[in-house]
Amino acid sequence: MAAETTTKRWGMVIDQNRCIGCWTCAVGCKEINNEPLGFWWNRILTAAPGDTTGESSATVADPASESIDVPHGTFPELDMAYLPVACQHCEDAPCVKVCPVGATFRRDDGTVLVDYERCIGCRYCIAACPYGIRVFNWGDADQPVDFTIGYGKDYRTTDGRLVFTPDRPRGVVEKCTLCVERIDTGEQPFCVEVCPVGARIFGDLNDPESEVAQLADDGGATQLLPDLGTNPRIFYLPVEQEGSV
Amino acid sequence: MAARVDTPGLRPVALGRTSRIWLSLLGILVFWGLGAWIYQLTQGLIATGMRDVVSWGLYIFSFAFFVGLSAGGLIMASGAEVFGVKSLRPLAPIGVLTAAACVLVAAMTIIPDLGNPQRVWEIFRYPNWSSPLVWDILIIIVYFAFAVTDLAVMHRWTMEAGKRRRTLRLLAYVGLPTAVLLHSITAWIFGLQISRPWWNTALMAPLFVTSAILSGTALIALVALVAHRFDRFELPRETWTALAALMATALAVDLFLVGSDYVTILWGNVPRERAALDLILPGGSWQWLFWLEWVVGGLVPFVLLVTPRFRIRPAVFALSSVLVMVGVYAFRIELVVGGMIKPLLQLPPGNATGSYRLGQTSFQFQGIYHPTWVEYGIVTALAAFLALLITIGYRWLRSVERAGATA
Repeated sequence: MAAETTTKRWGMVIDQNRCIGCWTCAVGCKEINNEPLGFWWNRILTAAPGDTTGESSATVADPASESIDVPHGTFPELDMAYLPVACQHCEDAPCVKVCPVGATFRRDDGTVLVDYERCIGCRYCIAACPYGIRVFNWGDADQPVDFTIGYGKDYRTTDGRLVFTPDRPRGVVEKCTLCVERIDTGEQPFCVEVCPVGARIFGDLNDPESEVAQLADDGGATQLLPDLGTNPRIFYLPVEQEGSV
Repeated sequence: MAARVDTPGLRPVALGRTSRIWLSLLGILVFWGLGAWIYQLTQGLIATGMRDVVSWGLYIFSFAFFVGLSAGGLIMASGAEVFGVKSLRPLAPIGVLTAAACVLVAAMTIIPDLGNPQRVWEIFRYPNWSSPLVWDILIIIVYFAFAVTDLAVMHRWTMEAGKRRRTLRLLAYVGLPTAVLLHSITAWIFGLQISRPWWNTALMAPLFVTSAILSGTALIALVALVAHRFDRFELPRETWTALAALMATALAVDLFLVGSDYVTILWGNVPRERAALDLILPGGSWQWLFWLEWVVGGLVPFVLLVTPRFRIRPAVFALSSVLVMVGVYAFRIELVVGGMIKPLLQLPPGNATGSYRLGQTSFQFQGIYHPTWVEYGIVTALAAFLALLITIGYRWLRSVERAGATA
C-alpha cells in the first residue's frame, strides 16, 4: 500500500501518563504567541484519570477543589491526572459552523484558524465552543512588558488571510492556531517543542507510519467530550492504572 | 372636494404639553445612550461587564427581547385575517407599527454588542450559511420590509377598498409564517448549540414563539392603553376581552413549556444540565429570575388577566402588561446567563477570563456578570428610541386615520 497522501491532516496526541502538570506548554504558548495578561490559549486542567468525557468527575460532583493539583476523590481513594486543554481543532467544529462571516475557518489540513481581519466580534464562537478555549479582546491588550515577544510577525495563509499577528486588534476572538506559522515550515507547535517530558506528539494523521497516527489509532486514545460529536484532532492517552485492562 | 390625501403627515396634530415632555424625555435618553455608545467605541467592549465566561449580556437579552416584542403585530394583524378573529382587527394598525419598530430596534441592538461594528457589512459579503445568525439577520430584514409594506397598504386610503382588503389578506397569509420563522430562527441561535445543555432543547423555538406572542401582545395592549388614556383611543369591549384571553393563554403555554423543560432536567438529573437550573431555582444565586418569571411576571398577571373584575380597569390591564414583559425579560436573562455561566469543563483552574488584575485569579469556574452603566445606558436608549418610534408612528397613524375619515 503506497501511502502517497499529499494533504496533511495535522493532529496531536497528549499522553497523560507523561504529563507532569508543569504548565510549560501553557507558558510557552503565551510566550510564542505574545498572549496578553489573563489570556490562556492553553490550560492544564487537574482531572481524574480517564476523565475526558466530562461526565466522570467534576461535572458529576463538584470539583474536588477549585485549585489545581488537588486530587479528586476521598482519601484513600484519590485520583488525579492532568488534562491539557487548548483548541481541539475539531473535524466538525461548532465554532466554524456558527461564525456568521467565516472568520473562523478550517484549513484543508484541519487547522481551525481565526482571520483577525474578518472577525466582527460577535462572540458566537465563544458560545458555541464546548471546550471554553476561546478568548476575546475586550479592550486593548494588557502586556507584562512593553516589547513584543515570541514569533513577532504577521502570518498569512496562502490565500492571504491574517491568522496570526503579534498584537491582536481590539474586538476579535483569538485561540490556539496549532502554531500555524511553525507547522507550515515543518516545525512542531511550540507546546510540543517545549514539553519537558515529551507528553505531546504531533504529526500527520494521514501518514499511517507516523507516531501520532499509530497512537491515535491504537484504541486506547480518547477525545475530549466525545459524545458531542465534534470529533477533535487532539487525542488523549489516558493514565493507565494498575489493575486496569 | 375629495382631494387626494396622499401626504396626510403634512397636517400634524398640535403637540400637547404631556407629549412635549414625553418626547423630550425620550430624546434625552437617546442622546445619553448615544454618548454611552461613543464611550464604548473608544474603550472597546472592556467598558461592559461581559467577560469570557459570560460573554453575552444585556445587549443579547435585549436583542432577544425586542425580537419577541415584534411578534404581537403581525400575529395580531394576520390572526385577525387568517383566523377571522374580528375583535382583534381594530388593533392591527398598532400591531403592525410595533412590529416594524421593534424589529428595527432589535437589529440595532446587535450593533453595540459587536467588537468590530464597522465590519458588520461582512455578514452580507461573506455570509456563512450554516450560521443561524446569518439567517436571523435575513429574516429580520424580510420581517421589517414586510411590516412596513403592510403598514403602507393599510393606510393607502386612496386604494380601492376591495383591492386593499385582498392585498391585506394576502399579506396576512405570508405574514404569519414569517413571524413564526423570525422567532424560531432567533431561538435556534441558542437552541442548536451542543456546547450549552441549557440551550440545547427542541423546545427552544416553540418557547420563543410563545413568549414572543405573549410579550408582543402585552406591548400592543400597553400602547393601546396609553393611547386610551392620553388620546381618547377607544376599543370595543370584546377587543379587550380577546386581548386578555390571548395574553393569558400565551402566558400559560409559555410557563407550561418552561416548566416541562425544568421537569425533564430535574428528573433526568444529568449534572451538566442541572448546573444552570440549580442556579435559577429557589435557593440558587440567580433565584430572583425564577420569582420574576413565575410570580411577578407569571402568576400575578395571569390572575389579573383572567379575572374580569380586574381586567376591565385600564390601569390594572396596563400593570399586567408591564408585569408580563418583566417576566419575559427575566426569561431572556435566565436563558442567556444560564447557558453561559457554567462552562462544560468544570475542572481546575477553570476558564481563562481574558482579564488580569494583580493579586486576582485570571480563571473562573462560574462566570460573573454585572452590567456596567454603559450597557444600561445603551439599552435604555434603545428602549427610548423604540418608544419614540411608536409614539411618532402612532401620531402618524392617527393623523392618516383622521384625514381618511374626513376625505
